[in-house]
Amino acid sequence: MFWRAGFGATPREARHWARRGKGATIRWLLNGGPSPAPRIKAPRIDGHRLDPENEWGHDVLWWLDRMIRSRHPLQEKLTLFWHDHFATTEQDTPLMLAQNKTLRRHALGRFPDLLEAVTRDPAMLMFLSLANSDKEAPNENYARELMELFTLGRGYSERDIRQAARALTGFKAEWHDNGNVEISYDREWHDAGAKRVLGKVGRFDWKDVLDLCVRHPAHAPFVVGKLWEFFVGTSVPRSARAHLVRVYRGSGLRIRPVVGAILAHPALYRNLDAPTMVKSPVVFVAGSLRTTGQGIERDAWTWLLDSMGQYPFRPPSVAGWDWGASWLSSNSMRVRFDFANYMIDTPRVGVEDGSTPNKLSPKQAVARARRAVGNPWTSAATDRELMRIARRVLADEDFDERGDMCQRVLRHLLISGPDAQVH
Amino acid sequence: MNAHRACDDFHRTNELRPLTRRQVVGLGVGGGLSLYLAKAMPIQRVFEAAAADAATSPSAPVLVSVFLPGGVDLLDTLVPLHAYGRYADLRPNLKVQGVPLAGTSLGIHPSMGRGINGGVKGLYERGKVGFLPGIDYSNPDLSHFHSRHFWETGLITDRSAPGWLGRWLDRAGGRDNPLQGISMGYGLSPVMRSGRAPVAAVASPGDAGFWIRGVWGDAYDEAMAAYTRLGKVNGGGHALSASREAARLAKLVADRLSPYAEHDGNDPLASTVPYPEESDFGERLRYLAAMISKPLGIRVASIEAGADFDTHDNQSELTDLLGEVSECLAAFQADLEARGLSNRVLTFVWSEFGRRPEENDSGTDHGAGGLAWVQGDRAVGGVLSEYPDLNRLDRDDNLQVTIDFRRVYSSLLEQHLGTEASGVIPRAGAFGRVALVK
Repeated sequence: MFWRAGFGATPREARHWARRGKGATIRWLLNGGPSPAPRIKAPRIDGHRLDPENEWGHDVLWWLDRMIRSRHPLQEKLTLFWHDHFATTEQDTPLMLAQNKTLRRHALGRFPDLLEAVTRDPAMLMFLSLANSDKEAPNENYARELMELFTLGRGYSERDIRQAARALTGFKAEWHDNGNVEISYDREWHDAGAKRVLGKVGRFDWKDVLDLCVRHPAHAPFVVGKLWEFFVGTSVPRSARAHLVRVYRGSGLRIRPVVGAILAHPALYRNLDAPTMVKSPVVFVAGSLRTTGQGIERDAWTWLLDSMGQYPFRPPSVAGWDWGASWLSSNSMRVRFDFANYMIDTPRVGVEDGSTPNKLSPKQAVARARRAVGNPWTSAATDRELMRIARRVLADEDFDERGDMCQRVLRHLLISGPDAQVH
Repeated sequence: MNAHRACDDFHRTNELRPLTRRQVVGLGVGGGLSLYLAKAMPIQRVFEAAAADAATSPSAPVLVSVFLPGGVDLLDTLVPLHAYGRYADLRPNLKVQGVPLAGTSLGIHPSMGRGINGGVKGLYERGKVGFLPGIDYSNPDLSHFHSRHFWETGLITDRSAPGWLGRWLDRAGGRDNPLQGISMGYGLSPVMRSGRAPVAAVASPGDAGFWIRGVWGDAYDEAMAAYTRLGKVNGGGHALSASREAARLAKLVADRLSPYAEHDGNDPLASTVPYPEESDFGERLRYLAAMISKPLGIRVASIEAGADFDTHDNQSELTDLLGEVSECLAAFQADLEARGLSNRVLTFVWSEFGRRPEENDSGTDHGAGGLAWVQGDRAVGGVLSEYPDLNRLDRDDNLQVTIDFRRVYSSLLEQHLGTEASGVIPRAGAFGRVALVK
């Protein structure tokens, strides 16, 4: 559950919440509150604090740090969900960081509030050409994605998009000499005429269009289905969808109760002994750091995430990333293997020369490696392979570094192997 | 050429009647036949092996799919000089002075002349480019994602499905070589996603290899042997199987590419043709040309331009976007020629849709009737489909579609890859064919 609702548990978190049971754990995940804080060091790159606005890659590290040290991991996980859902890319870093804060603030709140905040968010306004879309030449870009990707998925027509684009006019972007952009709303730029959108007629403005979208019958099934897929990894069964739609509408379109209902659903617990979802690169990297107690101490994580195919703040398009098995191309699997090389070079997971006794039994060696990487789930096949490696490497008594070398191999495979890519 | 005809025969024969020994020998696998039969291999497997052998033969044709993401505008790329007045009315701010294309009433965007030997325009003039204006499908969906999915799969469906080139590999490819279908990039292109044929994603062939920090000798060998075995474990549900298969393929790709890694300053994949500097697209095309020249069994490849053609509010950028594409593709073609590969590599360039004829001031919105082209020594040169009539727009004010992209796919499969199209594109017969390959 900690992997699905966040980025894995530290061993202390796991012990703490295992004693308190599922109900209490879900309540804590949803609401935050007291819990054993991860004892993970604050980020330091070359002895300095992060500078997310100015230094290359530090924006990503700043967010990764939140994920690994958060006392409210579900909020970070949902911020990632909304970043994918309202995918924005290639905008100035300060704008992207501001958008990230907006997504976090509303991550578990009312969807209409989130949608309104995103629509007027400067990074989004710039990305989907809504800024400076005026009544003379309304730009359809935002109107289309609003319906297709953000609220409905289906149930609208090309005509709805064009009419909604008229209603959405009026946002204006002005650049200052210092390079900053200022967003304002100019009534002169807004098309105040009557429009017909989703079967209703009126002199709609941008807020009216958002309202029409979230009131549309296709909206609730669309958004609860997407949340389900994010947490469970399959498309939502009809009965579960009907239940979630009731929860969502009954709560006044709030996200927290829907996520609570998903986390409590038996489908999430059906395959506890065999994970059924592929970890996205961000979940894999943040989770590897969190569960091993390793803080941010290098910037390699940024380019490794890029090479694995999930560079936060730079989703490939407005549709976000393709989730699921498509994360695992032959190339991204190789990069995950390479990532393990960096992990076994960190203070928490690394193995200093001469630090491991050569006289450990294979069983002890495997247990030691498992502890160092946060006791991850492994299949029987992996358990066999780890024991076999330990037996063989430790048997070579002429080899002085056999204890250290064995640890490095075991820890590496516990991070790079097929089992570690799923949750 | 015989090699890929054999694939074709294989499928047709296989569907209609049992195979005879004579037919098997006729496929050119006589040498291996006794061995296969000695192992009591089912006759079906003999033929799969034959098809796979044919597929990796050094003279087998190669198809390269180049995706220009975002929706390339037809009107400003191939300008309708025959209807320039109407064009200028639709595009008062954006209109481009197209450079007349010999033998047509069209003008090409000046940027398409950029690059070695006159860029894409130069290739056209040498009869090596066949343009397909007005390409799309009926009732076009103007969503990037829907439309792109249709193009990637060759199916008009919302459902998840393997890509059309992945399906071709499922049918005509081998079972052991992931490099037969190569996607140049970090992730696997949806075009190349297969049902069961192994396929590969390669961002940079020079660093596809494996290593473990602080580990060497027997310990390293033990680790990689374990990793390889874990990649072959069966069972365990969809996610875990996908993870194991990815491990298996990653290791296979690393092993096959290891002879071509750079060492002692010597790059076995170096090119004699200059590619544009600082273009990821160009660099990947360079890698691809080099890899096709090696005995890696590459049959289909997919590559995406780094540019974003979704020019809603910045169509002036088309100048640079098309310029980079032209420079990179011209270098790729010159490289293939220098390597003696140009007679068997055909490149197909496409985008998910076109753009609205009427501009929105500084850009254009999503539209129908886009542009694609085939490129290569074997390409039929010219303008191969009807240019949409600017005076007869559809009910959404978009261009009329003049050629279905599935007609083009079916033609590429049959004329270049030598596989009957209906095995890959459902109801392929209904789309007809267009001569694309000499």
